[in-house]
Formats: sequence, structure tokens, C-alpha cells
Amino acid sequence: MNVKTIITWIFQIIPAVILLQTLRFKFTADPMSVEIFTALGMEPWGRILIGILELIAGILLLTPRAVLGAVLAFGVMVGAIIGHVSILGVTGQHGPLFLMAVATLICSAIVIHLRRTQLPLFGKTME
Amino acid sequence: MREKPYKHLRISEHRGGMSRLAVDLPKMAVATNIAIPATAVLFGALGYFIHFAFHFLTVSFIFLTLVNFFYRHVQTRHTLLRNFGIIAQMRYLIESIGPELRQYLYASDTEEKPFSRNERAEVYRKAKNADSSQSFGSLLNFDNHEIKLRHSLYPVDKEFQQPYKVTFGEERKIKNTYTITKPFIISAMSYGALGQNAVRALARGAKAAGIPMNTGEGGYPKYHMMEDCDLIFQMGTAKFGVRNNDGTLNDKKLKALAKKPQIKMIEIKFSQGAKPGKGGLLPKEKITAEIAELRGVPMGEDVISPPHHKECTDAKSTVAFIKHVQDVAQLPVGIKMCFGREDEFRALIKEMKKQKVFPDYITIDGAEGGTGAAPKSFMDESGLPIFKSLPIVNRILKEEKVRNKLKLMCAGKLINPGKQMTALALGADAIYTARGFMLALGCIQALQCNKNTCPVGITTHDPHFQKGLVIKDKAVRVANYVKNLEHDFEEMLASMGCASVKDLSPENVYLPRDAECTT
Ligand SMILES: Cc1cc2nc3c(=O)[nH]c(=O)nc-3n(C[C@H](O)[C@H](O)[C@H](O)COP(=O)(O)O)c2cc1C
Repeated sequence: MNVKTIITWIFQIIPAVILLQTLRFKFTADPMSVEIFTALGMEPWGRILIGILELIAGILLLTPRAVLGAVLAFGVMVGAIIGHVSILGVTGQHGPLFLMAVATLICSAIVIHLRRTQLPLFGKTME
Repeated sequence: MREKPYKHLRISEHRGGMSRLAVDLPKMAVATNIAIPATAVLFGALGYFIHFAFHFLTVSFIFLTLVNFFYRHVQTRHTLLRNFGIIAQMRYLIESIGPELRQYLYASDTEEKPFSRNERAEVYRKAKNADSSQSFGSLLNFDNHEIKLRHSLYPVDKEFQQPYKVTFGEERKIKNTYTITKPFIISAMSYGALGQNAVRALARGAKAAGIPMNTGEGGYPKYHMMEDCDLIFQMGTAKFGVRNNDGTLNDKKLKALAKKPQIKMIEIKFSQGAKPGKGGLLPKEKITAEIAELRGVPMGEDVISPPHHKECTDAKSTVAFIKHVQDVAQLPVGIKMCFGREDEFRALIKEMKKQKVFPDYITIDGAEGGTGAAPKSFMDESGLPIFKSLPIVNRILKEEKVRNKLKLMCAGKLINPGKQMTALALGADAIYTARGFMLALGCIQALQCNKNTCPVGITTHDPHFQKGLVIKDKAVRVANYVKNLEHDFEEMLASMGCASVKDLSPENVYLPRDAECTT
């Protein structure tokens, strides 16, 4: 295993852990989670859907198909950040969540970059 | 530029005034490169003002925007992508599915290479035991440039036909002669080029059909032997399976192998049609413990197949080597080559006469022959095609009065009865085919034999792809193919007024003088 592989895996494990450990709030309908998705107008379907997407992303990030998980995580996190900026706010009560979203976004972006040649469709032209 | 009928299409000058419709890529690229981020902004606004769910689309277009940015401003390898962005991807995408599109939709039934759909369909039908008759008319050309068979006014009745029988080694009066009763042999394909399922299905089919199979140059024929069919052991230039570490022949190993009851003949390979005069290299990454054992090579280093046998550097040493192998193996010993120069071949035959040593058979492989992998230039340009070389070889053997000293076999796209009859009439005693049997196994001509990704599990070792190749079922196809070839062979032979193959002569073939005599 060379250094690059190890670094790649570190950046896969961090977002995977963040994504997977926040799932229980979404799937158990934690009041805070319900509140957030009510504010976004997507309760309960959005909460479940995003939860499922995060679950898939988190699992994929721990497999050789990590680049797919990273793309998914990247997309969900961009959405989360839009949510924070436009509706939920980036400081105060939801501040920590916002920071976690940013961290996940950065990590998955790095994974996408490092594994870009494995992207479906685009990969071949991304050396 | 003369006129502008559509916005994105224009008639452009092209090759000396010929005009054609062309897509105006630059303009479309500008449009796309603006449209993608603009759409992201649009959905962003919809998400903000109408419903947050629109941001699913916002996010998608942000992603596309980033990919597009990467193509245009970061990567430097792909000119089109750098100049035009993501829309140029369309070109790569469409180009990448081009071969499939052509094969599925656009290629006509007679134009695909190396085998047209027509030719392949005949093999598939024979292998599936389906009716392969055709109606209304032939799809081929009749322009006097094609090789045709000449029938007789007086076909031979069935009861007067003699059974096919060729005995190898009878000329030398050796003890272990080998007799075939059908004119078809599975041509050399190594375990290595083929996966184990394919090897075993072929071997099982050969056993059922009662024909021999050539092992190819893959070393000890472990998987071939599992099915108990008759085998012709091929010794390539690296002598896998019977070599010393320096690439010379290990007499002991050859002797031991030749004693196995399934090994009926030995074939010394000098060259093959797909890459005449070219050796090969087995990279160390591909050398698994099993391959190392079967081929008799060390692990952890590349193994070179030299372009020629170490022992054979001229006619004299070559003939001496043939004699040596005959002495060690005590079996019929043949040689395989793609025909190159007439003078060289004649000198080789003269040397055989001088030493009074003849191989028990010569296999001529046409330049159109296939392979697991070969450099394009060798595959495309090197060697003589079979219908050119076979008549020359036959003529030289007759002129030197040695045609009765050995058997002549040949290969090179001889997958259908018509081509096989042609070869037999031009002097061959039996027909070798490799790809005919691959097609019988279900080969779809995906042209990926060198990539370990054969979608029908023939030329791959990936268990995932091999799963689809069920030995039991495909062995039946192989046997069916032989059975139906034999049926056509007998009918065609009768139509040419011949009671046996021996009655065939070049008179039975119309060879256009200036035609490209390729199969
Ligand atoms: C996948 C594959 C592997 C082959 N391996 C060998 C080989 O090991 N030794 C050899 O002499 N020829 C080899 N050949 C060549 C064939 O034995 C045969 O001479 C050639 O393909 C012409 O016959 P065909 O047109 O009926 O396929 C190979 C061909 C194919 C397609």
C-alpha cells in the first residue's frame, strides 16, 4: 500500500463515519431532524430519502467503488450547505451540523479528485 | 460556407468541394458551457423561492459545472475537451460504443471482419443443430473475383463414397501411427489464451465428436487431459511444458509427456499466421503458480517466447531437430508454419530429402489466422494467406516428389464447409480451425481476447465471465458443429464427383487469376 492509497482511504473513512453516525437521528425521527426537514418542506419523505442516500454513500465510501459514494456524498452535502445558507443558518443551533457538512464536502471532493479516473462515463478522460 | 439551413448545422467545404452537413461544435459548445451553470442558477432560484426540493437539480448541475470546469481549465490531455468542454464528451461516448452500434445496427450481414454475421451465423446454427439452409439467393458477390468450387456433372452416390481416413506416421512405418476419421481438428489454442472452461468444453466436445484437439503452446495440458480426448501436443518456440531453463528441449519431459495415452502427436510450431516470425513475452504479473507449473517457467520474471526455436537456425539444424523430436517422442511429429518465402521453403524440403527426414505432417497457417494477441502490423501485413500459400506448398512438395512423404494440413478462417472443401481440393489432407470452434462455443467476435474481459467467458480467466460458459452445454455445441460440418463435407464431396478426399484436385477450384485469394 502506498502513501496515496492510505491518504485516499483516510479521506473516505472520515466522511463515511460522519454520514453513517448521523443516520440514526434521521431514521429515528429525532425531533431536531424532524424540525430541520419541516423547515425545508420535505418532512418526512425528504428526511428518509436523504437518509437513504447518505446510507448508500457511506457504505460505498468503504468499498472499492468509493468514488460513487463520494459523488453521492458531495451532492447531498452541497444540498445541505444550500439548506444551511438559505434557510437554516450557518451559526447558532445548526452551526455544528453546518461545519460537519462542510467537512464531509471537502473530504468527498478530495476523494473524487484522487479517484477521478474511476468515475463512470467521465473517468476515462480525467487522467 | 454557402448557406445556413439550420442554426447548428451548416454546409461546409470538405475535401475538394464535396459538401457535407456538419455539426457546428464550437457554437454548440459555447451554448452548453453557458447553459450548464445557468441552469444550476435557475434551479437554485426555484429551490429558494418555490420549493427546496428543486435543489436536487441544483446540485446535479453544480456537479456538471465542476466537471466542465475541470475539462476546460484543469486537464491538458484531451484537446477537444479543453477547447469545447463537456459536450465534446459526446464524441468520446458515441465513439466508444461505435463498434457495438455498427455490429448491432449498421454492419451488413456480409461485411464484418474477420467473420461476417453470415459466416458466424452458419457456425452458430451448425453448433445449435438448427437448419442452416438459406432461401431466395446468395448474399455474396459473383463478380469473377471470388474463389468458387467446381462441381461435377456426375455426383457420386452415397453408397460409393468411401469413409474419410488419414493416418499420420504411416510413411515412416512407425509403431504409434495416429488415424483420424474426420477431416477436422481443433487448432492450437493454449490454456492461457483460453480459460479452463473453454478448454474443457472444447476437449469434451472433441471427445464426443471423435476428433483430436491441439493443445496450443501453453505447456502441460492439464485441463485438456481432464476430458480424455485425443491430443496433439504443441511445442512452441519457448517449449512450454518440455523446456530446460535456457529454452532448449528437455528430452526427458517430452518423452514422459509423449508416453501419456492421450497424446497422439507432437507439433513443433515454427510460426503462426497472425504473427509470423514473432515471438512473445509472458509478463511476470500473469505468471500464477499454476501457469508457472504447467509451463515449466520460474515465477517472478518475464518469460520470453523467442521468434524461433533455439535449436533451429537454418534448414540443416531445423531438419535435425525434427528428427530429434521424432526419436524422443516416438509419435508422429508435425510442424506448423505460416508460409513466407518460396526459396526458403524449397531449401527446407531439399534438406529433408538430403537427410531423409520428413515431418509426419506440415500445417500451413494462413496469414488471416487468429491469435490471443499480436502486434497489429504483424497481424495485418505479414505472411501469405492460405489460398495463396497452400497451392504453392502443394506444388513445391510435388515438384520435389515428396508429397507422399507427409500429410498436409492447413488453417486460416476455414470455418465453413465451402472454404474447407476449397482447402482440401487445393491439397490439404485435413482442416484445422481455431476460431470456428470458438464460435461454436458462443464467441460473439467481441475482439477482446487479449484483455481478460471476454464477455462470453472463452478467452478469460475471470470466473465471473467464465460462469456463463457451461462446459456440459457447450461441449454439445462443439460436437454438433463437427457433426454438421461432416454432413456438408460429404454432400459437397459427392457433388464434385469424388468418392473420397483423395479424388479432389485443384481442378475442383476456380481460382481467379488476379483475385485476392483470401478466405
Ligand atoms: C485465441 C487464440 C489462441 C491461439 N493460440 C495459438 C497457439 O497457442 N499456438 C498456435 O500455433 N496457434 C494459435 N492460434 C492460432 C490458431 O491455432 C490458428 O492457426 C489460426 O487462428 C487460424 O485458424 P482459424 O482461422 O480457424 O482461427 C490461436 C488462435 C486464437 C484465436
